Amino acid sequence: MVSTFDALADPTRRQILDLLRERPRMVGELVEQLGVSQPGVSKHLRVLREAGLVVVRKDAQRRWYELQTEPLQELDAWLDSYRHLWEARLDRLDDYLRELHGSEMDKEEEDGNEEAI
Amino acid sequence: MVTKKQSDSYAGEQKPVVITRVFNVPRELVFKAWVEPEHIAKWWGPHHFTVPHCEMDLRPGGTFLIQMQGPDGQLYPTTGTIHEVVVPEKLVITSKAFEDEDGNAPLVVLNTVTFEEHEGGTKLTLKAEVVKAAPEMAGALAGMEQGWSESLEKLADYIGQL
Repeated sequence: MVSTFDALADPTRRQILDLLRERPRMVGELVEQLGVSQPGVSKHLRVLREAGLVVVRKDAQRRWYELQTEPLQELDAWLDSYRHLWEARLDRLDDYLRELHGSEMDKEEEDGNEEAI
Repeated sequence: MVTKKQSDSYAGEQKPVVITRVFNVPRELVFKAWVEPEHIAKWWGPHHFTVPHCEMDLRPGGTFLIQMQGPDGQLYPTTGTIHEVVVPEKLVITSKAFEDEDGNAPLVVLNTVTFEEHEGGTKLTLKAEVVKAAPEMAGALAGMEQGWSESLEKLADYIGQL
């Protein structure tokens, strides 16, 4: 089983997905567009199919590769939760920075007063 | 036909998470709060969590470890690698998610944090992108999708506690 993340880890595979987002394509077109050898493209397509990101549709003698977006929704869900985690974390940072800055200002004020005395 | 240039974008579906925040304090202070363990411990963990241990080897190639502890005593470590440090402007770090005991993680996130001076305060921008998963993880984790759903549920529970 290949995970969505493994499949997306490779830049050439992301490029294939970019091309398939425009429309379904045949291997030959991908080879031409990417400048990668046919065995290379086929290997990447196999990984993408195992990850469920790409399906093949047969039309007479032709094999069209099509993008499937469902696995990407899981990734989006994870990224959403990551955003929430960071929003909350930055809220706490904001509180802490006010506290920290406040105490530094107090200290400077005290130092200032001492000098004045 | 125009040959599409090599890109890592794939922006349609896999959008990076971008968060910006303005803090009303000087940039040096914000940066310090991000990189000094005694300060990190004060804000990294959710409410009711403590950070009993934190290490930060602040140099390119250095690593960090932030150990959070929940109210029930459960430990939640976050580890990662520092890739770029420009004091007090920029930090590029990768962090691992759902790391196992051997340090393998099914997911690695690249975080680019910039600190800009902004109207007397500091504008922080965090960009997070899923960059890679160790290739050997695919085979190692049989029933990966199942594992993922469980991890996501755990994460959702965990976020629910914030």
